[in-house]
Amino acid sequence: MAKIDPIVKKETGYIALFVIILSMAMEAVFLVIGKWDLKVLFGNLLGGGTAILNFFLMGLTLQAAVGKDQKDAAARIKFSQTYRMLMLFAVAGAGVLAPIFNMVATIVPLFFPRIAIALRPLIDKNKGGDADAQTDDTKTNDTQETDDVEEDDGI
Amino acid sequence: MLELAIGIILGGCALGAGCAMIAGIGPGIGEGNAVAKACEAIGRQPESRSAVTTTMLMGCAVAETTGLYALVIAILLIFVAPGRFVEILLNAIK
Repeated sequence: MAKIDPIVKKETGYIALFVIILSMAMEAVFLVIGKWDLKVLFGNLLGGGTAILNFFLMGLTLQAAVGKDQKDAAARIKFSQTYRMLMLFAVAGAGVLAPIFNMVATIVPLFFPRIAIALRPLIDKNKGGDADAQTDDTKTNDTQETDDVEEDDGI
Repeated sequence: MLELAIGIILGGCALGAGCAMIAGIGPGIGEGNAVAKACEAIGRQPESRSAVTTTMLMGCAVAETTGLYALVIAILLIFVAPGRFVEILLNAIK
């Protein structure tokens, strides 16, 4: 079995965390509107699990495709996308048809990874702010050192 | 006459689902192109592999969402809409 790239693990972990948080929020909404039952929970587990699995499989495909030739990589991705779409179709179909799943609770979690990615710049912005501050400090130090050197040259 | 109306409803829903799934072609092509270019970039600058992979992963996930929208529309048209439309039709006849 091929070793999983740490980047894929990290990103899947991030997506999984957000899917769990958003799933809990969705459950809370169902509770508040008084429509919560076990069907919602099962549907949420099915939809959320599939969303994470879909992202993870996509990561694995990308990991395998990165080392390949351009044409080979593109073909591999298209092939993978087709099969993942079929998987999503089967899951969403099961969520709609099977009486033990709530339709909305199955389909909505499939979009949670997109929401997680949309929220990502907000999280990165905080980290980026610190990085900018460090860069500014470094620049300031560099400038001071340059000034010192110029002064030394002048003397 | 009723059979014809139900047939038109079912046919229309199936046709709509098929048209919606045309949107599923785009993400496959887009992701393929993105990964091909990413491979090229990594080949030129192997040290940027992790940054390129992360960006590519997120980009592919975003691209795939459009296909997912189409998939959901198609599923609703196939499994949910015909029943509702036939119900509306029967209520209108009564």
